[in-house]
Amino acid sequence: MTQTESSSLHEKMMKRGGLRAELRAANALSIKQWRVEFSYPLSVLYFIVMPFLWFLPMLLAGTAVAGSPTSSVFGTYTGTTDWVTYIAIGSAFSGLAMSLFWGTGMAFRREQNVGTLETLMTTPIRRDTIVWGTMLHNVQHGGLGVILQLIFSVLFFGATLNLWGVFPALGIVVLAVIGMQGIVFALTCIVLLAKQGWMIIEVVSEVFLIIAPISYPIVVLPPILQYVSLASPLTWSVDAFRSFLMYGFLAPGIIQAVAALLIIDILFIVVGSLLFKYTERYVRAQGALSQF
Amino acid sequence: MMQTRESLRSADEEREELENGYLTDFQPRMMDWNASRIFAVKNIRIAIRYPTNVLIWGLLPILWLAPYLLMMTAVAGPGTSEYFSEVSGFSDFLQFAVIGWFIFKYIDASIWSIGNNFRWEQFSGTLEPLFVTPVPRISILLGAAFSDTVQTTISAFILLFTAMALFGVSYTLVAVGPIIVIMLLMIIAFYGFGFMLAGMILVFKDPSVLTELINNAVFTVSPITYPLQVLPAPARFAAYLIPSTIAIVVIRDLAIIGTYDLFLFLQSIALMCGILIFFWAVGIGVFNYGEKWTKERGSMGGF
Repeated sequence: MTQTESSSLHEKMMKRGGLRAELRAANALSIKQWRVEFSYPLSVLYFIVMPFLWFLPMLLAGTAVAGSPTSSVFGTYTGTTDWVTYIAIGSAFSGLAMSLFWGTGMAFRREQNVGTLETLMTTPIRRDTIVWGTMLHNVQHGGLGVILQLIFSVLFFGATLNLWGVFPALGIVVLAVIGMQGIVFALTCIVLLAKQGWMIIEVVSEVFLIIAPISYPIVVLPPILQYVSLASPLTWSVDAFRSFLMYGFLAPGIIQAVAALLIIDILFIVVGSLLFKYTERYVRAQGALSQF
Repeated sequence: MMQTRESLRSADEEREELENGYLTDFQPRMMDWNASRIFAVKNIRIAIRYPTNVLIWGLLPILWLAPYLLMMTAVAGPGTSEYFSEVSGFSDFLQFAVIGWFIFKYIDASIWSIGNNFRWEQFSGTLEPLFVTPVPRISILLGAAFSDTVQTTISAFILLFTAMALFGVSYTLVAVGPIIVIMLLMIIAFYGFGFMLAGMILVFKDPSVLTELINNAVFTVSPITYPLQVLPAPARFAAYLIPSTIAIVVIRDLAIIGTYDLFLFLQSIALMCGILIFFWAVGIGVFNYGEKWTKERGSMGGF
């Protein structure tokens, strides 16, 4: 490449901007992450087997106490005696949440570990595009995991899904991702400030998963946790996602769940984005971006 | 001129040291206990610098255990179910699971800590210096295993006491001696399991995937939260090949009931000794092969 060509390319890069350019950058980041993951052959095997291995212990633990795929006790708590389907859908959704919390929350740390964080931060893209790009990858990664786990559950464990609910459930995934992205922005701030933030991410993500109705209804939680649970986007997302997949379009209580999710989404994404904006600025001002 | 004289003197001194020193007397050995001790002390010193790690690893498993207990409560009602008593022989599934998770701490450590030890040395940039040190690699791994056992024991007891307080369960200490014997056999058998993983990680590099995969598979077939009876027959057979399965079954009986049939206990000890020898032989074999394979390809320091 001649010097003139190189400088014109550089000028073109610096002039880029707008939503389309940011979307292309986010997509490039997502593809890059796929390439990294597929360069480790065991990752592929892990990706296929893991949704199955995550769900299996839950199913076995349930079987050990219920003895059959239905439970009348479960029916009194949730309105359905089919605890296998209930847990299969919740567990599949939790895979997506984990993928977002861990994959996106630790994105900056990962880039730092491989020595590409400064390069990435000097690339002429918005800083939050880096987080959105990683999120895009993790939605694809986690989303495929959800699909695989649901297929496994239907084929091997007798879970039953209402196919009319698939499209509205996808809408819930979009709303869930927005709310969870707010949490992810906050987790990214922790990683930027504390550097070795895995411990905090582990605790925060586990707490969000425990208070969400993933494999049990929130009514079995202690009363105080039930109130905390209602403020989490994960609670309403799992509930609405499962309701659509179990009961189809006319799922009971769905309007309330969607309305609550919309309100929580706005709150979480606004607070999360602001936190990220100011933390990233603070860390750069302190010159602490590349510190380990 | 002066510099040349100094370097000549230093070269002479070095030669003399080599002639009288350790390297010239060095004979390859099967095991260097001194190296193991030094490596274990080094790891424990690092661990002491981060005391919250031990605490957090004691408390975190409660966050993993709680969903199981809450789910079992939602499915069967609080504490017990007729079916559970029938298949497990125990009435309280909370009491059943907590002791299982206490032992799982050791399984988890053998998979994550011992197996991944060389990977962490690689991340710290000390793997190559460690591999040119004239000591058997197994002594280094054994040192890592000793230090991990100390840390895991502290974390496991934090987990046990916290879970006992949170879920309101208790255990009897009547048979504490036999429990310690079985625990020791299990821990030593897991060292072999850890050596095997360390060899595999040298070859495959990315430890998170392999470790997660093995950890989840072992967790699924182990009688930690649920009894073996709920597993399909082939999985039940596979479970008995893992060093912890017999240990969990015996320790659970001893900790909850306080007694165990003497003949069955001796039979369990004999089986565990067999598993221990098997895993050490396989572990050392796999590790040596993995090391040779990696060295031949020059990929020791590769990520």
